[in-house]
Amino acid sequence: MKWTETVLVFIVTGIITVIGNTIGYHHPLSEAAIGYLMLLAVVLLGMAISKYVPLKLPMVFWISLLALLSTSAISPWAKTISYYTGKLDFTAICTPILAYAGLAAGKDLAMFKQMSWRIVVVALAVYTGTFVLATVVAQVMLRIEGLI
Amino acid sequence: MKVLQDWKIHLGALIIVVICEMIGTRKVQMGPGVLLFLPMLYAMILGGIISWPRLKLISLKEMNVATTVLTLTTFMLVAKLGVIIGPSLAKVAQSGLALSMQELGHFFGTVILGLPLALLLGLGRESIGATFSIDREPNIAIIAEKYGLDSPEGRGVMSVYICGTLFGAVWVGLLAGYLAALNIFHPYALAMGAGVGSGSMMAAASGAIKAVFPEYGTDILMYAGASNLLTTIIGIYFCLFVSLPITEKLYNILSPIIGRGARKTEGGNVNEVD
Repeated sequence: MKWTETVLVFIVTGIITVIGNTIGYHHPLSEAAIGYLMLLAVVLLGMAISKYVPLKLPMVFWISLLALLSTSAISPWAKTISYYTGKLDFTAICTPILAYAGLAAGKDLAMFKQMSWRIVVVALAVYTGTFVLATVVAQVMLRIEGLI
Repeated sequence: MKVLQDWKIHLGALIIVVICEMIGTRKVQMGPGVLLFLPMLYAMILGGIISWPRLKLISLKEMNVATTVLTLTTFMLVAKLGVIIGPSLAKVAQSGLALSMQELGHFFGTVILGLPLALLLGLGRESIGATFSIDREPNIAIIAEKYGLDSPEGRGVMSVYICGTLFGAVWVGLLAGYLAALNIFHPYALAMGAGVGSGSMMAAASGAIKAVFPEYGTDILMYAGASNLLTTIIGIYFCLFVSLPITEKLYNILSPIIGRGARKTEGGNVNEVD
């Protein structure tokens, strides 16, 4: 995908995200838009690094690292970035993502219909197992360490 | 511009988002817990209905565009979690041991519950691909490389992947909200558990936990984000070098005891369970 194309996609989804954010969480539209643009800068920079740096690390690693550093103690803009990105609610970012996920679901339906119900039950067990076991281990560890 | 040619899909997304955010979060009491319905869950379901092939509202090409957009927007989620973690790096580091240990829960939780169930239901080597991990994109690549996607293992991983795409977020979101409302677990533990290694499932789970414990909002996203990042990045290596060999070994041990093999020696008809 070309860079201009990528940026355009982010601008279109950005408009949707910020509108949803205003409806659902009543943050001022302009401040949330600034927050979105800041996150976008982090994402694009992360994508560029993972493309041009020869280290074989997943893109989410670079984006996370940059985002983390941008609001950590070493960043001179930490307060500003935290303020504006704070106006963009986490769940407001998720709603359009899942809307697109839903809109893409139709193409998997044909294959899904051919699947046995047994594998569907197994899939639910897989998600349940990973979430519940990790929660239990975390609960025990946090208790032992006296953090909760 | 290509993006603007696909305006229908974006307009669809905008309408869905507006409707879902206007409805807002709803709670339904169920037994001792609460089923929590977040706007993102309706968004997934509404989108799914619109893309129902029989309705012919959107073409296959447009669905593929939606997938591309989905991949890109997930990066925004990653960035948002990053800026939440940034100011509290010290706090995250303080719980480093708990965070690392619970990753074992993520990596083995899929096998421990999934594999015996798959075998009891009569699945064959599909169960290896299906249960060795959470079966998102990087995990598919591991199976594809080792067995090929036409193998039983490949069918297993693809089937669970498709289930995850279709209703993983809805399931994990409802489950997390329900468990949180039961008040057995601390919100921090639930938040770490929510970092299952899939953006949409993690989003739905942490959104639900946050709705149950609003006073811990930022900390929940911080722990969930850190945990999800660990699961995603370490997961690639862990699944390849540890989870997959262990799942295969467990399959070989358990299959003759509770799987098809057991039924065979009892003289049962294997085809019956297919």
